[in-house]
Amino acid sequence: MAQTITINGKTHEVDVEGDMPLLWYLRDNLEYTGTKFGCGMGLCGACTVHIDGQATRSCVMPVSAVFGKSITTIEGLSENGDHPLQKAWLKNKVPQCGYCQAGQIMNAASFLAQNPSPTEEQIDNAMQGNICRCGTYQRIKAAISEAALELGKEV
Amino acid sequence: MTIENVSRRKFLKTSGVAAGGLWLGVTIPNAAMAKLGLEDEAVFNPNAFIHIAENGDTLIYCGRCEMGQGISTALPAAVADELEADWSRVTVKQADGNEELYGSQATGGSASIRTMYIPMREAGAAAKLMLIAAAAKVWNVSSEDCYAESHKVINRKNNQQLSYGELASLAARVPVPEKPALKEKADYKYIGKDLARHNQGDIVVGQLTYGVDTKIPGLKYGAIVHCPVFEGKLKSLDKTEAMKMKGVEAVVEIPRFEVPYGSIGGVAVVANNTWTAQQAVKKLKIEWDLGPNNTYDTAAYKAQLVKNVENPAQLAAERGDIEKAFANAEHKVSATYTGGHLSHSPMEPNASVVWVQDDSCEVWAATQSPADIQKVLGQYLKRKPKDILVHVTMSGGAFGRKFKCDYVQEAAVLSQAVNAPVQLTWSREEDMRTGYYHSINAQHIEASIDKDGNVTGWLHRAAFMPIASLFNGKLDRAPANNLNEIRNHPFGIENLRSETGEAKRHTRIGWYRAVYAIFYGFAYGTFADEMANKVGQDTFTFLNNLYDSNKNPEQEEQVRRSKGALALAAEKSQWFSRDKLPKNQGIGIAVHYSFNTYVAMAVHVEVNGDDIRVLNVDCAVDCGQVLNIDSATAQMEGAVVMATALSLRTEIVFRDGAVVNSNFHNYPVLRINEMPKVKAHFIDNGDKPTGLGEPGLGPYPAALSNAVFAASGKRYRDLPFKPMPV
Repeated sequence: MAQTITINGKTHEVDVEGDMPLLWYLRDNLEYTGTKFGCGMGLCGACTVHIDGQATRSCVMPVSAVFGKSITTIEGLSENGDHPLQKAWLKNKVPQCGYCQAGQIMNAASFLAQNPSPTEEQIDNAMQGNICRCGTYQRIKAAISEAALELGKEV
Repeated sequence: MTIENVSRRKFLKTSGVAAGGLWLGVTIPNAAMAKLGLEDEAVFNPNAFIHIAENGDTLIYCGRCEMGQGISTALPAAVADELEADWSRVTVKQADGNEELYGSQATGGSASIRTMYIPMREAGAAAKLMLIAAAAKVWNVSSEDCYAESHKVINRKNNQQLSYGELASLAARVPVPEKPALKEKADYKYIGKDLARHNQGDIVVGQLTYGVDTKIPGLKYGAIVHCPVFEGKLKSLDKTEAMKMKGVEAVVEIPRFEVPYGSIGGVAVVANNTWTAQQAVKKLKIEWDLGPNNTYDTAAYKAQLVKNVENPAQLAAERGDIEKAFANAEHKVSATYTGGHLSHSPMEPNASVVWVQDDSCEVWAATQSPADIQKVLGQYLKRKPKDILVHVTMSGGAFGRKFKCDYVQEAAVLSQAVNAPVQLTWSREEDMRTGYYHSINAQHIEASIDKDGNVTGWLHRAAFMPIASLFNGKLDRAPANNLNEIRNHPFGIENLRSETGEAKRHTRIGWYRAVYAIFYGFAYGTFADEMANKVGQDTFTFLNNLYDSNKNPEQEEQVRRSKGALALAAEKSQWFSRDKLPKNQGIGIAVHYSFNTYVAMAVHVEVNGDDIRVLNVDCAVDCGQVLNIDSATAQMEGAVVMATALSLRTEIVFRDGAVVNSNFHNYPVLRINEMPKVKAHFIDNGDKPTGLGEPGLGPYPAALSNAVFAASGKRYRDLPFKPMPV
C-alpha cells in the first residue's frame, strides 16, 4: 500500500517512522496543532480525530495503521467553522481554556453521525472518554443536544 | 498605577509587536487632521492597554494571563465599556511580559479583577475623554457639548458625528486626564453582561495557540524524565541506545536548579519531533541517587500528621480563655479532618519554546507569571530579567501549576545545549509525578458549646506542608500566619486557640486552585454540620446563629455577606423542603469566605450503598459586582467539577519517595457522566468586584460531606472520601 495519508482532503506522502503516532505526525510534521496532546495513552480524548469518519485517539494510532485512509482534524471538520456542533459550542459558550474542546467536538461529531438523536445518557456514554479539567461538561451536553436538533432539521 | 501616554515607538520597542501591518501601514488620517497638520500620528495609544487605529480598529491588551478563567475577556470588556467602544471593533491581545507597562502580571490568588478592575476602567475612561476632547477641538465646541457612544463622538447640539478612527490621531495630542470619572452601574453596557470569550471562535476551529503549539523556523523538540524523588540527583547515565535513534540530536543532563521554580533535575532528549524525543527518553539507562526524601510515604505521613494535631502543637494565635470555656461547656465536639496531595493536571501539560542566543533570549510559554520566567531565566543565564522576552500564550488550564516555570528553565538549558529554539513538552507522567502538589494536611478541632447552643471555645490545630517550604526547606511546619484563616474566620469565636503541628517538607508544594481554602473550608463546613447535629439544630439555623453571635464590628461585613450567600443557597436549592426527598437522598450546605469572595453551596446527593452520586449543586456567590455573568457561572461549574473529584477519590500518593500515580487511569478526574446539574446564583450587589477563580472550591467538599451524612448517616472526614487504590 502506498504510504500516503489524506488529511482534510489533502494527500500527504508519509516520510516518518511507521510507529510514530498520528498525533505527532499531525502536530510536529504537518503543523496541524488543533489536535492536542493530553495523556499519550488514549485516556483523555484531547487528540481525537476522525479516521474514515470514526472518532479515534490519534495519540495511540501509529501512522502506518492509517496509510491510505482519510483523516479529518478539527481544522477540516467544516469549511467555515460552521458545523452544527461548532455553532452550538459558540452559542452555549462551552470553552473555558479550550484545550480539550477540539477533541470533544470531534468525538461528538462522530457520535452524532451515528446517533443523530441521542438521549442524555447516550451522550454521557459517548463522551466519557473526553476529559475537561475546566469543567465544561454541563455545556458540552447542552451543546450536543442542541446540535442534534439542528442536524435533525437539516435532514 | 498611573495612566500614561505611551509613545508608539516605546510601545513597539517594549511590546515585541512586529513593526508591520497595523502599526506602519496607516496613511493620512483624514482631512480634518491634515488641515491641523497632524497627519504623522496614525495610531492612538493613550496607555499600554488601548490602541485605536485610524480605521477605528481597537486593540485592547490584557496584561494578566489567560488560562480559561476568562480574564482576557472580562477586563478588556470593562475597558471597552468605559471607552464606549463597539465590542465588535475590539480585538484582544495577550500582552508580553512587561510589568513596567502592565503592572503585575502574576495571575493567581483570584486577584486580577480585584486589583485591575479600576485601573483598566480608568484607562478606558481616559481614552474616551481624550477622544471627546479631540472632537470638541475639531468642532470648536466645549467637551461638555459632546458625548461618546458606540465608537463615535457625537455633538449634542447638531448631532454631528466623528468616528473613533477619525479622531484617533488627534486624540493622541490631548493630555491624559488624571482621574477620569467612571460610569455608574446603570450605564454599564458590557460589565456584568454575558459577552462570549473573545477567543472562543478560534478555539472551536483549532486555531488558538497554546504553549504546546508554538512553531518557529528551526524548532527542535524536547522530552524529559526527572529524578522521581525530590532532592535526588543523577548517579549515572548511559545514553548509547537513545543516541542511536534516528532524529535524536542530543541527550542533555539538567541538574537541579536550586532557586524557587527552578528545575527539579533530570535528563532530556532533543530530537526532530516530540515523539522521537519521548521514545529516546525511554531508552536512557539512568541510575538516580534518590537523596534524603527516598522514604517519603504519604499514608504514613498522613497518619503522623493526625497524631501531630491530636496532641499539643506550637501556638499560632490565642484570644480569650479557652480552658474556662471548655470547663463550662454543656457540649463538647471534636473531630479530625485530613486531605491528601493533589496534582493540578491541566489538560495541557507544561510546555514552552525557548530560544537562547548570545544577545537575546525569547520565550513563548503558557504561564501564569511571565515576570517569574524573566527572573528565573535571568538567574540561570546570568542576564537581566528585562533582557528575557516572554510571549505569553494561552494556557490549556493551569490551576496554579503554571505559576512555576521550571519547565521553561529546562527548555532554556536545552536551547543552549543545541544552539537552536527548543520546544520542551512534558509527558503527562512527568507532569503528574514531578510537579508541585497541594499540601497534604490534617486538622483537629475541638469546640465547647453552652446550654443555649452558643459556641464558646474553639481549639484548632492544623498541620500541613506549607507553600513557604518551597522557598525555605528548613521549615518544619506551617508558619503561624498560614493559620490566620482560623484567627480571622468570620465565626469570630470569643475564646480561641490555634496551633501549628509539625509537617516537614518531602516534596515540592505549590499553589493549587483555592490553596488552603480547600482544607479550611472542608474542616469549617463539616464541623459546623457536626456541631449542629450535636445540639439538634439544622445546619442552616445553626450557622445563622453562629454568625449572629459574632459581635466583632470589624467582621460585620463578613458576617452579613456570609449569611447572605448562605440564605441564597438555601432558598435556591431544596434545602427547606429536604424532608420530602427520598430516603437515600440528602442536601448538605456550607459557606466559605476566601479570596475576598463569599460562596455558599447546597449539594444534593443520592447515596446507594458505597455509591455517591451528586445530583444538583446550587452555588450562591457574593463577589460584589459581577464582571461577566457567563464566565462567572463557568467558574462555579468548574469548581464543582474539580472539587467533586478531589472530594471523592483523587489523591497523589507517594511511596519510597516517589509519586505512584502516573496518568488519568490512576488519577481519575471527573468525567461527563458524573456531572451534576450546577446552577450559580449571584448576589450582584454592585460592591467592589472580587475574584472567582478559586473561591468555589472552599465550601464544596464540606457541603458534599454534609449531604452524604444527611442521605446515609455516614460521615466522611478525609479528603478524598474514598481514595482510589493506586
